[in-house]
Amino acid sequence: MKAVRLATPLFAVLLVAAVWQLAVSVFKVPAYVLPSPSQTWSALGDDWTNIRSLAAQTLYESAIGFLVGAGIGFALAVAMAHVKIAHRVLYPILIATQAVPIVAIAAPLVIILGYGLAPKLVIVGLIVFFPVVVNVLDGLSGIDAGMVNLARSMGAGPVKIFLLIRLPATLSPLFSALKLGAAYAVTGAVIGEWTASITPGLGKDLLLKNSRLDTAGVYADVLLLTAIGIGGFLLMTILERVATPWRTRSTARRWFRR
Amino acid sequence: MTDTKLTIDGVEVRFGEALALAETGLEVKNGEFITFVGPSGCGKTTLMNVVAGLQRPTSGRVLMDGQDISGRPGHVGYMFQKDLLVPWRTVTGNIVLGAALTGRATNADRADARELARRYGLGDFVDHYPHALSGGMRQRVALMRTLAFHKDVLLLDEPFGALDAQTRLEMQQWLLQVWADSGRTVLFITHDVDEAVFLADRVVVMSPRPGRIQAIHDVGLPRPRTVDTLLTPDFMELKSQVLAGLYHHMEG
Ligand SMILES: Nc1ncnc2c1ncn2[C@@H]1O[C@H](COP(=O)(O)OP(=O)(O)OP(=O)(O)O)[C@@H](O)[C@H]1O
Ligand SMILES: [Mg+2]
Repeated sequence: MKAVRLATPLFAVLLVAAVWQLAVSVFKVPAYVLPSPSQTWSALGDDWTNIRSLAAQTLYESAIGFLVGAGIGFALAVAMAHVKIAHRVLYPILIATQAVPIVAIAAPLVIILGYGLAPKLVIVGLIVFFPVVVNVLDGLSGIDAGMVNLARSMGAGPVKIFLLIRLPATLSPLFSALKLGAAYAVTGAVIGEWTASITPGLGKDLLLKNSRLDTAGVYADVLLLTAIGIGGFLLMTILERVATPWRTRSTARRWFRR
Repeated sequence: MTDTKLTIDGVEVRFGEALALAETGLEVKNGEFITFVGPSGCGKTTLMNVVAGLQRPTSGRVLMDGQDISGRPGHVGYMFQKDLLVPWRTVTGNIVLGAALTGRATNADRADARELARRYGLGDFVDHYPHALSGGMRQRVALMRTLAFHKDVLLLDEPFGALDAQTRLEMQQWLLQVWADSGRTVLFITHDVDEAVFLADRVVVMSPRPGRIQAIHDVGLPRPRTVDTLLTPDFMELKSQVLAGLYHHMEG
């Protein structure tokens, strides 16, 4: 059963590649318009040492931006859930940050923050923090009031109630947001590189290859960017399973039993 | 031992304009078992919330061992109408919740919790999460959690509401056993008049609009009580008295 579950998505990917390959050969599409999977694959292999370090740079920007965005998002949600005035002041601002087109603020950000890592972190963070705030807020406000009353009836203080009752209730919605954020973070890093970069990364490389009509090289970069996004998503899925065992298991894991 | 444990002194609760509980007084003796019956909305839960310190009375106060505990939680074990098990804690984790919330759940606490679970038929489920338990099992865990909180006074709000008749009778006898062993004081809400009379030293009948104590019946039935107690003429007589009071109110 487990083998089948793992094989199915792999099979789907292979199927897409096969159809793609077939279409390119049947309709004789030139490589600068649409390279075939095999051409993309060899472009990846030919330039591997270079592409690998570029990918590492982009991965670094995405990961740090993701952590910063998620951290700020979580902190904001906790503050907003506990301080009414913070909620009223911050909520419209949060919505506004998402209404602003990211591409439009990328250039001004460079003027303020320069060409280094900072503007990229801001862009990735802006994308990641929003679903985290919204979901964690939902988690905090969706807590059964009876559960909090039960804890109060036992004489528990606000800190203990937060740590043992409120905080764990945010985990499931938090991970839903983190899965989204992991997939979006790479997009943020690429936009950041396009507008504000002297350090080379996959996004920058993509533009360069595009201008040279090296379409297979562009696709190779895209393939790697996609892989980073999927990898982040999978990592979050695994972390979610470990962090919220009660959602998928009927008993506690053996090494957590006390 | 027979001194006063709990004094409910002129307690009144309003929610805005609405009078949920009219001025109510009750003295509870140390180790006494009191049951509360009455139609829905007559303020039973509200009264428990006041005794638990969760609801500050609009006027009046609650004394425990002579100390004013109105509006000060943490002095009683309170089992709510809903089981309110914490989804991310196992059965053991839920039983030791009180210790975890007020300090630290030690290994000894956990061992006690597992022992408690084992003794009362949940030995195979100590590491289960609540979602994997039946309604009756959840109810029992909630009761064990209340017991494991080690307070002299237990407030039980319809603890056996979700149980089938047979399990219910077993649980009632178990509770009487626990109560007899520990000498704790119990305030117990139920909708079931049989249950109210079977368990109690005194049955408090409440009536609504506004919520208040309508009558108090002394139950002199000898202990320990068994299934046979349910068939004695004395039991029948008491039950019909309590029912008459409830029924009389509904007609009026
Ligand atoms: N937080 C609250 N705000 C406003 N009104 C409330 C609140 N809690 C209870 N009430 C009202 O107080 C009255 C008594 O409620 P309570 O829950 O004490 O009844 P009860 O006797 O426990 O009923 P049941 O048997 O259905 O549990 C009801 O009319 C209810 O609507
Ligand atoms: Mg009630």
